[in-house]
Amino acid sequence: MSETESVLELRAVTKCFGEGDARIEVLKGLDVHVTRGEFVAIMGPSGSGKSTLLNIIGCLDHPTTGAYFLDGEDVGKLSDNRLSTIRNERIGFVFQSFNLVSQLTVLENVEVPFVYRRPHPSGVRERCRALLDSVGLGHRLKHLPSQLSGGERQRVAIARALANDPVLILADEPTGNLDTETGEDVLRLLEGLHAEGRTIVMITHDADVAARANRCIHIQDGRIGEAA
Amino acid sequence: MRLLSMALRNLRGYALRSFLTTLGVVFGVASVITMLAIGAGAEQALLDEIGRLGIGNIILNTVKPPEATQDKGGGGGGWVHEYGLNYKDLAMIRNTVPGVGRALPVHRRNPRVWHKSRKVDATAYAVKPDHLKLFGYEVVRGRPLTHLDEASLRQVCLVRSGLIQQLKSFQDPLGMDLLINGLWYRIVGVLKDDAFRGYAASALGINSKTKEIYVPYRTEIAKRGTREHRRRQGSFEATDVKLHQIVIEVENPDEVVKVAQMVRRVLTKNHDDEDWKMVVPLEVLRQRRKTQQVFTYAMVAIASISLLVGGIGIANIMLATVTERTREIGIRRALGAKRRHIVAQFLTETTVLSTLGGILGVAVSFGLISLMQNFTGWDAIVKPISIVLALTISMGTGIVFGIFPARRAAMLDPIAALRHE
Ligand SMILES: Nc1ncnc2c1ncn2[C@@H]1O[C@H](COP(=O)(O)OP(=O)(O)OP(=O)(O)O)[C@@H](O)[C@H]1O
Ligand SMILES: [Mg+2]
Repeated sequence: MSETESVLELRAVTKCFGEGDARIEVLKGLDVHVTRGEFVAIMGPSGSGKSTLLNIIGCLDHPTTGAYFLDGEDVGKLSDNRLSTIRNERIGFVFQSFNLVSQLTVLENVEVPFVYRRPHPSGVRERCRALLDSVGLGHRLKHLPSQLSGGERQRVAIARALANDPVLILADEPTGNLDTETGEDVLRLLEGLHAEGRTIVMITHDADVAARANRCIHIQDGRIGEAA
Repeated sequence: MRLLSMALRNLRGYALRSFLTTLGVVFGVASVITMLAIGAGAEQALLDEIGRLGIGNIILNTVKPPEATQDKGGGGGGWVHEYGLNYKDLAMIRNTVPGVGRALPVHRRNPRVWHKSRKVDATAYAVKPDHLKLFGYEVVRGRPLTHLDEASLRQVCLVRSGLIQQLKSFQDPLGMDLLINGLWYRIVGVLKDDAFRGYAASALGINSKTKEIYVPYRTEIAKRGTREHRRRQGSFEATDVKLHQIVIEVENPDEVVKVAQMVRRVLTKNHDDEDWKMVVPLEVLRQRRKTQQVFTYAMVAIASISLLVGGIGIANIMLATVTERTREIGIRRALGAKRRHIVAQFLTETTVLSTLGGILGVAVSFGLISLMQNFTGWDAIVKPISIVLALTISMGTGIVFGIFPARRAAMLDPIAALRHE
């Protein structure tokens, strides 16, 4: 496998929501190409379709038209089970709205991806604990998400995304709720993972944060804008 | 294991709701088990009651015909009413019906029994010694009646202890002399206090209001005869019933029904009147059992409806839960849960819920049964199989009624579920 081999390849991807009069076209034909080990930032105004794009990349949603290849596989042709496995093993997703399970403690939330692994791997608890430590939440393991601040929840979401040791990390505004200092910690964490050879796609509104990436994709009104 | 602990946790999270949800199953299971127990108890009672008559026996009883006909001129301007089973019947049954083992005569009288100055109403049964063996009479003190008593026309008798008590005698009953219908009989044995009840008592012609006394058949017939005199409105009346009862023991119990048919034919030929009746314990038992079972099944079916309603309740609440937890489902799917994982999660929850409901229902049924026994005195027997059955059914209820909500949860689109508010 060469360094320039593409991990993600989106060809003329469009995404529409709604039916009839309420139908809106959010993505209007995107071509995105990300090679292995790249650190890509996505920027764009609110509502421009960034999260929609990331959902497609994360195998959570399907494009309305166009094709998406992940590691050379046509995602549109994969079964639901196969997609679940890919999400479980290869992708770490940091959601914009965190998406923590409210009945589970911080530690249990981070462990969720392993519940669906067969055979059940060992040392999960230790690994999850260490991850939470690295995002500065080692003292909050037994708390429920509702007992945490927005920034703390975001960090739990980051720890969970990294728990399954993913090759592809998708982060939707991972520093959005954090102060500069904590945000800096998170960015350093991502940079460290990038240095290890992982592919990262990160959405941000902050030009300084975007500057830390190899490349920045601008999305404007459902289309790719000028590349930086 | 993980699924189980996860299910328990989730259910604990909604403890009150889970409890209320499962109430339907609790009472469904409780009523099914209670009904089965009552049914089993009633069946056992039937068996105890009628089974004591012996399923290999046939009992013939004399009954008073509608109008006591057969008037034969007795002496003294009175009448002698003669009816019922007679010696010819007995002889024909013994000699012409194949498959008959013993055929035992019984004669009955209702005398007033005296001991010193005290008296008591009793029924004196003149029976063969074998009669007592055939029906399993147990002698707790003294000795039973013997063939020698018969042969030497001894005036001896057996009583139940209730008779002694009613005579208010504190003397040792053995050796006590009773004046029965003008004849002195000496008590040689005391029978166990387990009188026949219900149907069995009536089949044997035992009246619970009078005390039982058993005397040797030959003694009584030889010394007293079979004729009963009674003074009525100045005129003199007599009845003559040769035999009040014939007890037939069939050699091979499998042939009871066949032998009964032949006996019936013999008697129909001998008697113009309906002055006899046949009791075949085996047939009565079968019939009663059938009725009992139909009744039990009907009750269980009704009880099962509440189990069904309980299951629907679970499905209903689970559907609400699925809607409420749509976001959680979306998160789990996004993190790699397959559809079957979601199905398993919800199915485990409903199954755990309904099984716990079942266990609780078994506990409730025990309470219900003991309560019922205290108030009604009905017999109830909880068979282990009915517990197993009820638990299996409640578990099945959880699975059946959990499938729909679980599948609904699993079919949710991950991204739509995530966006659910
Ligand atoms: N499931 C959906 N149904 C209907 N419309 C949707 C759906 N998902 C997204 N949209 C619409 O698509 C548009 C783009 O949404 P998206 O979440 O991708 O924006 P974004 O670029 O991530 O914005 P932000 O920076 O605010 O997060 C929005 O106008 C939104 O209303
Ligand atoms: Mg967004």
